[in-house]
Amino acid sequence: MTADTMVGAPPRGGQRLRLLLHSRTGMLGLVLVGFLLVLAIAQAFGLVGTDPLKQAASIRLQGPSAAHWFGTDQFGRDVFSRVAAGVANTTQIAAVAVGVAALVGTLLGVIAGFYLKGPDAIISGVTNVLFAFPPLLLALSLTSVMDRNWFTVAVAIAIVYIPIFIRVARGPVLSLRNIEYVRAAVSTGQSRMAITMRHVLPNITSIIIVQVSLSLSWAVLTEASLSFLGLGNPPPAPSLGSMIYEARTLVSVAPWTMVAPGIVIVLLVVGLNLLGDGLRDSFDPRKRGSS
Amino acid sequence: MARRTRLSRDSVPLISLGLAFAMAASACSSGTGGAASSNASKAGGSLVVGITSDPDNLFPWKATQFQAVNVLQTLYGTLTEFDKDLNVVPGLAESWTYSADNLTLTMKLRAGVKFADGSACDSQDVKFSLDKIKDKATAAVAAASVASVTSVEAPDANTVVLKLTAPDAALLGNLASINMAILPTDSTEAALKTTPAGTGPFILKDRKPSQSITVARNPAYWGDKTPLETVEFRIIPDETSIVSAMQSNNVQLAVLNDPLVAKTAQGGSLTVTKTPQLSYHVLQLNARRPALTDVNVRLAMQCAVDRQQVLDTAALGEGEVIGPITSPAYRSDPSARPCASRDLAKAAEYLAKAGKSDGVSVKTIVSQGEYATSVAEAQNLKAQLAEAKITLDLDVLASNAYVDRWVAGDFDAAVALNGGRPDPDGMYGRYFTSTGNLNKVAGYSSPDLDALFAQGRESTDPTARKATYAKVSQHLEANAAWIWMFSGFTYTVAAPKVTGYLPMANGSVQYLRSTSLP
Amino acid sequence: MTIPWRTVVRRLLSMMGTLLGVAIFVFIMLRAIPGNQITAGLGTEAAALTPEQRADLEAYYGIDKPLIVQFFSWLGNIATGNLGFSSRSQVSVASLTVDALPVTIELAVLSIILALLIGIPLGMLSASKPDSARDAVGQIFGLAGLSIPSFLLASALLTVLSAKFGFNPNGEAYASLAEDPVRNLRQMLLPSLTLGFGIAAPIMRTTRTALLEVRSQDFVRTARAKGVGNRRLQVRHILGNALVPIVTITGLQFGYLLGGAVVVEQIFSLPGIGRQVLIGIQGKEYAVVQSTVLVIALLFVVVNLLTDLLYRVIDPRVRAS
Repeated sequence: MTADTMVGAPPRGGQRLRLLLHSRTGMLGLVLVGFLLVLAIAQAFGLVGTDPLKQAASIRLQGPSAAHWFGTDQFGRDVFSRVAAGVANTTQIAAVAVGVAALVGTLLGVIAGFYLKGPDAIISGVTNVLFAFPPLLLALSLTSVMDRNWFTVAVAIAIVYIPIFIRVARGPVLSLRNIEYVRAAVSTGQSRMAITMRHVLPNITSIIIVQVSLSLSWAVLTEASLSFLGLGNPPPAPSLGSMIYEARTLVSVAPWTMVAPGIVIVLLVVGLNLLGDGLRDSFDPRKRGSS
Repeated sequence: MARRTRLSRDSVPLISLGLAFAMAASACSSGTGGAASSNASKAGGSLVVGITSDPDNLFPWKATQFQAVNVLQTLYGTLTEFDKDLNVVPGLAESWTYSADNLTLTMKLRAGVKFADGSACDSQDVKFSLDKIKDKATAAVAAASVASVTSVEAPDANTVVLKLTAPDAALLGNLASINMAILPTDSTEAALKTTPAGTGPFILKDRKPSQSITVARNPAYWGDKTPLETVEFRIIPDETSIVSAMQSNNVQLAVLNDPLVAKTAQGGSLTVTKTPQLSYHVLQLNARRPALTDVNVRLAMQCAVDRQQVLDTAALGEGEVIGPITSPAYRSDPSARPCASRDLAKAAEYLAKAGKSDGVSVKTIVSQGEYATSVAEAQNLKAQLAEAKITLDLDVLASNAYVDRWVAGDFDAAVALNGGRPDPDGMYGRYFTSTGNLNKVAGYSSPDLDALFAQGRESTDPTARKATYAKVSQHLEANAAWIWMFSGFTYTVAAPKVTGYLPMANGSVQYLRSTSLP
Repeated sequence: MTIPWRTVVRRLLSMMGTLLGVAIFVFIMLRAIPGNQITAGLGTEAAALTPEQRADLEAYYGIDKPLIVQFFSWLGNIATGNLGFSSRSQVSVASLTVDALPVTIELAVLSIILALLIGIPLGMLSASKPDSARDAVGQIFGLAGLSIPSFLLASALLTVLSAKFGFNPNGEAYASLAEDPVRNLRQMLLPSLTLGFGIAAPIMRTTRTALLEVRSQDFVRTARAKGVGNRRLQVRHILGNALVPIVTITGLQFGYLLGGAVVVEQIFSLPGIGRQVLIGIQGKEYAVVQSTVLVIALLFVVVNLLTDLLYRVIDPRVRAS
């Protein structure tokens, strides 16, 4: 799903923020994601929860209690801390993946749209090749290839999402080429680079931002699916996907081991989706008129 | 008018939704009734066994995968077999005698045995099979087991004579492995992979890749005809899904490895039988690498590990702490080791002796996805050893990467689950003798050990052999060649009506031949 | 309707180019995975191989020749219809694919049908009164579908239904549609519900957006002013024009389903094409993975082409031009 092409005067920074704050869905998304991130950071700094890796056979499979808010798993590890650490891991991987994809994809898309001919042919060709792969299969093939750690998993996911950013960036750039002030700038002999920076980029920023937030939720789901298949960030790093995988055998005796990571991952993805929707609505020139 | 149109406009989506759910609901309701009756037992019974993966190789001399070996055990026969206590009993060979110097083994073959392709099985086929297994070109997995056999002769149709270079007491047991299956003369790997031709109690009936492989009763089997008419090995990739299938009576038998999954199978009508296994969980040490050359470092590691804790944390206590040798007849005493229980003071002492009081770093490989407990074991070991200032540098690898490095001996330490065998020579001969083909992986050898193994192979007196292998075990522990931890259980889950199936410690499913399902 | 031959030819050529790119990419990627078919097949027993035995096995598996040779001999074989051989299963890759592909396609089609049956009515419901409670319900449902991971839903459904209600048609041997339609549909029910729920969401949202957009457009207002009845308006003009984005999204989801179904296939033990690729990767059967991925890519590209052609049929603006 890509954001529609929007060509028009882009909203300025302060205007954007105000628009976002007005959008109910956007705010809800922001609050959800923010809350989860705060929790993850707090856990990382030891402010809440305990060591997610610490095993203690004596307190295995206990239900939620004051000491262990989400109970313990089959190794006696504190589920709450693992879930919080899992959120941190997942968002780190998703953020890096989408960040890399956005940077590389936008750059390539702009080059393709602006310079056309040679670079465009190559870049579009590569995009088509990558698009021809079903995304999950591509991701799992890539993670099978590399030594697995959080960074290579992020890179694998990034490679899967680069084509979308290329396409999303290239489209508007193609139409922007023909707009009056760009043509004018070219005729006055400004360097292409300068034109790109001053005229093209600001116009496509909104679209890229929306695409980033959409891709973040997919990246989180992809990372979880990879962990579920055992092809993500290797253990012992806690991951929401692998927690759910392990919990499948426990769900009848200790449902909290699946319910906790399950709910958290749904909340995270819901939050990211709402945030993306809010951003998209607030950047939509048509909606802007009515708000 | 506006209200009416709005109603009709809205009813369309609601009706469509209703239709969708009605479809789903009707499919659901017709489902529950049919599930139980889908496996109506025919005359003799049709058993469904759940396995997690397609057998990857139906050629007995090269099959190592657990599922492949199990299927092959129903199709092929061997010269000798094991009974439920892992004693060697007659198979295709009815009886045998050793010459006085134990260098000649004469075996009398059963008469009237036929292969699945109809041809008779006689001494020519045995000679062909053993010769081919010994032949390097075949790359048979069990080649090392018959290294002591110099020649195989077939003086008449029912007799084979094996000439040995030295007495080999382990030979009869080694002949019972499915990797030593007797194949028809001049058969080829390619042909047998598509059309198996064995002497086993079952024959191949049908195969659907990724779905199932079905074997049927062999009417020409030399032993008692199997009570079951067919056995379907159904592929259900996930152990949890197998339990689900058993709870809905679609699958009647399964062998599970994950103790947690086995726990969920308990408590209903299913019976779960725990069987201690010959395979063992071990922290392999590579004594040839700089970090571990000094025996004191290895002894320090040994003393810093509480094996029961590893067992409890990683495998929920489902297993037993063991010494090197796990087969019942030669079982090592787990308390006969320098530090039978954890002793951090001693560990520090050993480290000091090695001049490494500041601590050591050990590069350790761990596999992920091969078996359920690998990573949990590694984590626990890491935590325990850290308290003795020994750092396990864990490298968690996917199966392929792990196997690559294991095979090359490219590690200081490796968290491994290795297969065991009923005979200690079969189990450790190839690892811990200096000429063993897995010695590179074992990372340790010594002339004393070589002598002990030779002694064990030569003697045929059970008591003497027991003593010899007890010494082997002591040597390995005293030198901390590896750190043996525990052996786990396999869990055989059976539907209530299944009778006559006996799980075996070596993981063999040979008792499918006596299983029945009324 | 005139067929734009030049466009079609150009598209076909670019398709071929894309497929070649896919072939090269997957070929290189597989060779980059550590291990090869020998270690995958023998596991730790590969340590016992002598160098000569290893060389023999490499020749047997065809991995001893230089990479370029391997690549072109594989491509050459494909051109003649030989997709390779799987020594694990002892059948040709073509035969494996012919068995596995219909399973995944059936799953994808059923999922899309369910998704359309759920998504479009919900979208219409939401659009009928925007920003109302009705709309909220539809949106929440859509959001849930987008956010609940398929593996979570699949695991939960399977565990609960089989443990509590004994309902587990997927525990039975798989039956194809031709063999036993009733059993097959029962086995496809949970998996396609799981996947369909996930993709119902984008369909619902697209329907809603499209309906809202179209409703406010000029030609609809004109038609209404002209007195065209509401029902006719709805079906012909509104839904007809909303079809374009719905078709786009459906086409996109089909591709996602081909690959994304691998987790669902794993949990419900469906012998589909996703699992074939996964097992091929684990067993390092290069031919299986390469040829299967190529087939999937071909399918995907063809679906895209068909979707594009479908536009020209249903989009009145394109037709008019």
